[in-house]
Amino acid sequence: MFKLDRKSILIGASLFASSALLFTGCLPSSTSVNEKTNASASSKLGQYEIKSKTAIDGGVTYVRANGVETAYAYNQQNTKGVSFGRTATPNEIKAWDRDSLHDGTGLPEGEGSVELGEELYDAQCVSCHGDFGAGGRGYPQLSGGNQSKDENGVVITLKNQRVYGKTEAPKRTIGTYWPKATTLFTYIRDAMPYAHPKSLTNDETYAITAYLLAQNRIKIDGETMDDEYILDKEKLAKVVLPNNNGFYPDIDGPNGPENVRAFFANRAKNIGAGIRCMSDCKDPGGIDGKTETAVMTIEYEMSDVKPPYSTVRDLPPEQEDKTISKAEKMYNVSCKLCHATPQMGAPVIGDVDAWKSVIAKGFDKVLVNSIAGIGGMPPKGGNEDLTDTDMKLIVEFMIDSSKKK
Amino acid sequence: MDKTFETERSTSVSRRDFFKRTVAVSAVAAASILAPGSLLADDENIIHHTKWGTILGDECNFNPYGLPSEYEHNVVRRTSALMSSGGDMHAAISMTPLHELSGIIVPNGLHFTRTHNGVAHIDPNKYRLMIHGLVEKPIVLTLDQLKRYPSESRILFLECPSNSAAEWKGPQFGSLQFVKGMMSCSEWTGVRLKTILDDLGLKPEAKWMLAEGSDGSEMSRTLPVEKVLDDVMIVYAQNGEALRDEQGYPVRLMAPGWEANLCVKWLKRLEFGDKPWYAKEETSKYTVLTASGKAIQHFYANEVNSIVTSPCPEKPWTDLKVGDLVEIEGLAWSGHGTIRGVDISFDGGKNWTEANLKGLVLPKAWTRFSYMYRYEGKALLLQSRSYDDSDNVQPTVNQEKKVVGVEGVYHRNAICTWAVDAKGGVTNVQVRS
Repeated sequence: MFKLDRKSILIGASLFASSALLFTGCLPSSTSVNEKTNASASSKLGQYEIKSKTAIDGGVTYVRANGVETAYAYNQQNTKGVSFGRTATPNEIKAWDRDSLHDGTGLPEGEGSVELGEELYDAQCVSCHGDFGAGGRGYPQLSGGNQSKDENGVVITLKNQRVYGKTEAPKRTIGTYWPKATTLFTYIRDAMPYAHPKSLTNDETYAITAYLLAQNRIKIDGETMDDEYILDKEKLAKVVLPNNNGFYPDIDGPNGPENVRAFFANRAKNIGAGIRCMSDCKDPGGIDGKTETAVMTIEYEMSDVKPPYSTVRDLPPEQEDKTISKAEKMYNVSCKLCHATPQMGAPVIGDVDAWKSVIAKGFDKVLVNSIAGIGGMPPKGGNEDLTDTDMKLIVEFMIDSSKKK
Repeated sequence: MDKTFETERSTSVSRRDFFKRTVAVSAVAAASILAPGSLLADDENIIHHTKWGTILGDECNFNPYGLPSEYEHNVVRRTSALMSSGGDMHAAISMTPLHELSGIIVPNGLHFTRTHNGVAHIDPNKYRLMIHGLVEKPIVLTLDQLKRYPSESRILFLECPSNSAAEWKGPQFGSLQFVKGMMSCSEWTGVRLKTILDDLGLKPEAKWMLAEGSDGSEMSRTLPVEKVLDDVMIVYAQNGEALRDEQGYPVRLMAPGWEANLCVKWLKRLEFGDKPWYAKEETSKYTVLTASGKAIQHFYANEVNSIVTSPCPEKPWTDLKVGDLVEIEGLAWSGHGTIRGVDISFDGGKNWTEANLKGLVLPKAWTRFSYMYRYEGKALLLQSRSYDDSDNVQPTVNQEKKVVGVEGVYHRNAICTWAVDAKGGVTNVQVRS
């Protein structure tokens, strides 16, 4: 176990070999702390048998054998032949399998013009996504942003970093960020308009897709999309969005999963990783090469928290309950036990005959009795916390509930 | 200092030693312990009968489905316009009150909630799940039929990859609930997808799986088959009862350790294919834009992470006296594997000392850590740093920023810092360049 721990720390350190100079002093100190780790982790708690450290996400997979997987026992009985449900019919599959791949596979028949798309957009989409898809209403911005690329084919404005006084954000619109146009069609048809999803026909969806592509100045086969442009599945499959190559690792083709595995195997380089330095640790500094760290505090404190922050433990503010009145609540707590069951001798709530003679005494007399106590009933039913006003509400409720309706 | 306390904790001390040490540590602490009882005021809550002890309580089944004490009404999920689409709370997120939680299981009513088109309410009698594509036998299951498959249960954290997304450019929130509340941990029960696929016959050319929800947003994502065959589940129960509507009632996908967004709620359809789908939530969203101008896609696992939960901005140390021995407590988790340990720093990351793990230490689950600290009434920059069995160590803000930049939105797992002031107040800060 000692060796295992030592190895893992050394691996962590070696991942940073390229920047190791910045971490002078790390290795000796982490080694000494390491010994402490092993002393305290001498039990097997939390240490599970690992099958592989090369899972597709860069993590571990655990051994699942002999009824044990990590801390869990699992069912070792034969489950071969367990089979429920029924075969899906071709019509059922057709009804639900409406997705499309980025090569156009799965896209339905139909067509729509940019002009019709504008009409539909202005009627059903503009309230959230703004004029021409320009955003500004709190929902995603769909068009705009600078699509110009650098010599490596990277959309320049996507390199914007709001740090060190720079305030211009990278814009993530269809034209600057989205990789595939087919996504647009599927998403609009299945999830839009926001309040009435799945209400658009395929033709209408092609039209809105055409309008949004036109707003992003997309050309199809070199052709500009003017108002008369009509989009269909063949044309949509040909769209290459400007940021088509802006994503990594490459997931397409037979090597897709292996590319993902290779990418996450090198996490220190590709997604950032820490190192277990224990004393006199130095930070690598910022992306501008600055190495001096500072304590940065909150500049703008969010205030519209709902419900408002509170760690107080008290009773919630009294709320008028639609189904149960305050009087009924008090009755439930203080009176119900005796007044709900005949065995207790008290007039049972809802028993019209029993309450006739009570009501005949007059409301004031009944209230006085309830406050002072009568027969086997203690004053206020035994709950001295109830005020006379509370008692009035309760007596009204009980009488009202025991009249002929 | 730390070594001394480690010894103190692990050795039993004699009464005489205890007092000797206490006196040595703090005159104030000693005074409060040694003061004769007759000098102290009596507590009314002890001297007199309590109200609840002198009246009849509720009938035993007054609430057929139990409710928290009324006094706990402030222990709730919270949200803000910033967590929504311009204030519209249908495509929004609510945060778990981490500062009020104990252990590693989150009550179902406090589990964080993320919706893209509101919370769907599904009639379980009309619920159907379709599994098709590159399988020998495409099937349709009712909820009851799904539950006929042998079940498994796992305690797993679920975290939105946007957790802490607002903090890339600097500290934003003065509360633990908003800094890290886009996550929860529950015992999930359902069927291993592999168990069903053994019956359906997965074709060898199947490389990817599309998971699709049936809510208004038809939320869909692509997962690699390798993960599906390893530990992905179709779950219908959370902490012993049916999923809550907010968690995808009656059925959601569960990809242990991975983005909660991949654990598609209100699950309707699983299709196996040989190509990835490029759904909206894996292209325009849930991709990590780096400083290079290119974005990481198919970023699945929530990386090794940790946070100190006590003290925190909501639960500061303002009630402590100098010399009090107090527990620093926190949560650590990793979607890549199992937490191996957590280190604590009091000086903003220059020097570190080991904390103890406590309770269950499970893969891809919350793990509690603890460190006994002698309160000195001085300012601290308190940090925690976790590491796992997959050789990951939680990065500093700068270590992560150097690789990713500050516009990535998702998958931020940098070390968090609480600034503890001399009076015990706690604020959220960042140590960075």
